Amino acid sequence: MPTAPINLHAPYKERIHDALHNKNLKTVLNRTVGRMSASRVAAMGAVDGEQLRRQVRQMKEYVLRNLPDLLEQFEANVEANGGRVHWAQDAAAANQILLDLARRHAVQKIVKSKSMVTEEIRLNDALEGAGVKVVETDLGEYIIQLAGEPPSHIVAPAAHKRIEDIAAIMQEKLDMPPTLDAEVMCSAARASLRREFLSADMGVSGCNFAIAETGTVCIATNEGNGRMVASLPRVYVAVMGIEKLVPTVEDAFLQLQALSRSSTGQQFTVYLSMTSGPRQPQDVDGPEEFHVVLLDNGRSEMLARGYGEALMCIRCGACLNVCPVYREIGGHAYGSTYSGPIGSVISPMLAIEASEAEKLPHASSLCGACRDACPVMIDLPRLLLDLRSHYVQQGVPPWFERQAMQGFLKVMQSRKLYETGGKMGSLGSNLLASFNGGAITFMPPPFSAWTKTRHFPPLARKSFRELWAERMERRKSISGPTSDAKRKPGEG
Amino acid sequence: MSERDAILSRLRDALAQPDRRFPPADPDPLTDATRMTVTKAEGDAPALAHRFGQELTALHGSYEVVETPTEARLTLLRRVTDWMEQETAAQKGAVIKTGQERNVLAWAPDALPVGGLDAAFGDMGLTLVAPSDLTGKEGRESIRSIRYGISGVEAAFAAAGSLLVRTGAGMSRAASLLPYYHAALVPFSRLYPTAEDWLAEQRQAGALVDLLRTHANLTLITGPSKSADIEMNLTLGVHGPKFLHVILFRDG
Repeated sequence: MPTAPINLHAPYKERIHDALHNKNLKTVLNRTVGRMSASRVAAMGAVDGEQLRRQVRQMKEYVLRNLPDLLEQFEANVEANGGRVHWAQDAAAANQILLDLARRHAVQKIVKSKSMVTEEIRLNDALEGAGVKVVETDLGEYIIQLAGEPPSHIVAPAAHKRIEDIAAIMQEKLDMPPTLDAEVMCSAARASLRREFLSADMGVSGCNFAIAETGTVCIATNEGNGRMVASLPRVYVAVMGIEKLVPTVEDAFLQLQALSRSSTGQQFTVYLSMTSGPRQPQDVDGPEEFHVVLLDNGRSEMLARGYGEALMCIRCGACLNVCPVYREIGGHAYGSTYSGPIGSVISPMLAIEASEAEKLPHASSLCGACRDACPVMIDLPRLLLDLRSHYVQQGVPPWFERQAMQGFLKVMQSRKLYETGGKMGSLGSNLLASFNGGAITFMPPPFSAWTKTRHFPPLARKSFRELWAERMERRKSISGPTSDAKRKPGEG
Repeated sequence: MSERDAILSRLRDALAQPDRRFPPADPDPLTDATRMTVTKAEGDAPALAHRFGQELTALHGSYEVVETPTEARLTLLRRVTDWMEQETAAQKGAVIKTGQERNVLAWAPDALPVGGLDAAFGDMGLTLVAPSDLTGKEGRESIRSIRYGISGVEAAFAAAGSLLVRTGAGMSRAASLLPYYHAALVPFSRLYPTAEDWLAEQRQAGALVDLLRTHANLTLITGPSKSADIEMNLTLGVHGPKFLHVILFRDG
């Protein structure tokens, strides 16, 4: 049985339920995600990883503080190098720019290298709707395009597919002979994609980072598809979020190392393709035209609302790999282009199609593993908490939950209510437990969410304060009333 | 208001709000004095060449270090002929003749750091193909089935086993990208301990920004093409070359 795809448009709870009950998904997540995490730990530990994190963070803080100026510098440099810069406030504007370019150049086929930002704006749907053939060329992305699914991980799009599932798809779509040999599967994809590369009219990529002082778009790939996309077709278009800039060439090399080490545990990715402009007259190959699309799509709003820290993200996927929630449910259950802890922060704020994205800040145990893994030290748990409290102020949680929290607030503000409540809770829960051998096995909704999967222990019979008072009484009777007063502060 | 001005003014407004928790008010940029060098490499040229080779070998590439350009030429020739034998030995059953079996895609002779390659390859019945224009269909077809590529480098970095190539007259991107086998020639004079050392040298000479801006593309290559997209199984030669062999040699 193949890993059944999760319906991304299903309600939040249903998606999570489906993911948790998908045994094959669990198998493949165990096989893949943990290994990526181990590679990162080894690679960051082999160098002064902490200093690398601090420096990349400092650099990205500088970028965001000076973002408008750097964007203008970048734009001026790309144009001076012979490229064109387009600005898009939202997905519709960005897709329109790409469509216009495709029409102007009579483009029939586009080859793409893996790009989260084009997933974010649903570029493939827009292009295919206009009759342009779009071919994804990253091996993982190609596999899921053949399967008709979106990516489930920022750097490993097919992280939710077992090798058996991938083989089945490739046999069906590429007439590949039956095999579970990854090398053979890879050769089949290479042959098929090479034909696409050589006959495509336009190449589209995202952008890992762009250098402001030179007007250079950088894409990092391991397979070489990024180089192909930027080199072979007549027209090359890079789509990038406005936050992706770095100030200098040296900063680009620093970020590349943080990215490579954090995502796959490499020193450098195999290829870093740095494109500053179109082919020059003396060049042997390269695109005739070079375009950059700068996309906002909610990013400036994130900065204005105080969530700008999440714009430092370099999309390495480290927070996904360490997240105990992601490791259980995979990427599709998040229902958004961006999954994992970073996805839970940015999905509700970016203008992207995601069902019940406002619930994603709750898809976290706030354990902090993501913050410790992040190469830019983004405080993801704090951002998640901020979003939760924002939605409470907006009245998003259900009536019952809000009433319960109000009640909790009242009780915690009054000692009398707290003590009485505790006493009643203790009596009540112990009474219930006494019918069932010392534990509560059933509670009515909404508490049944707990008792469905585990027993609820009764509250202690005596509160801490009561125990303390008893203890002090005992002490007095043993050593007399004066012994405590004789001690100096700090002793005992 | 244009899309551009709308985005920029929203950003400027957001950054002008005094009580924003992020970004900090006045963060310092990284400078040459403060920016770290992530990995280090030390030693004289041969030591660096071997360090380069060790790093590349760990990435499933291969290398040789030789003393002179002449030796480099012979080493390269032997490597390409070995690859050809390896190809022939691996063939099973009927083989489609492409007519390009004895062709090698290369940078133009004056763009390569070793001279006399044309004659040396010609003596072995091999043809070095150095196209000047690959943008048309005809040019593409002429090299489509070539299995071997030869290039020089702009620079090489020992600590990572990385090559830096750039575009320019006679220097095709295709030679280091399309074939299944890629051999690169690296003279000691272009070998640097780290990428940071090369960047510092270019920056101090005032050449770094122009180098990027006056060339359409620079590419950093660190090992043969690879993927782990199928359940973390390492597969080599996904789109780029499966075999990368670097010959490092002492030059003038």
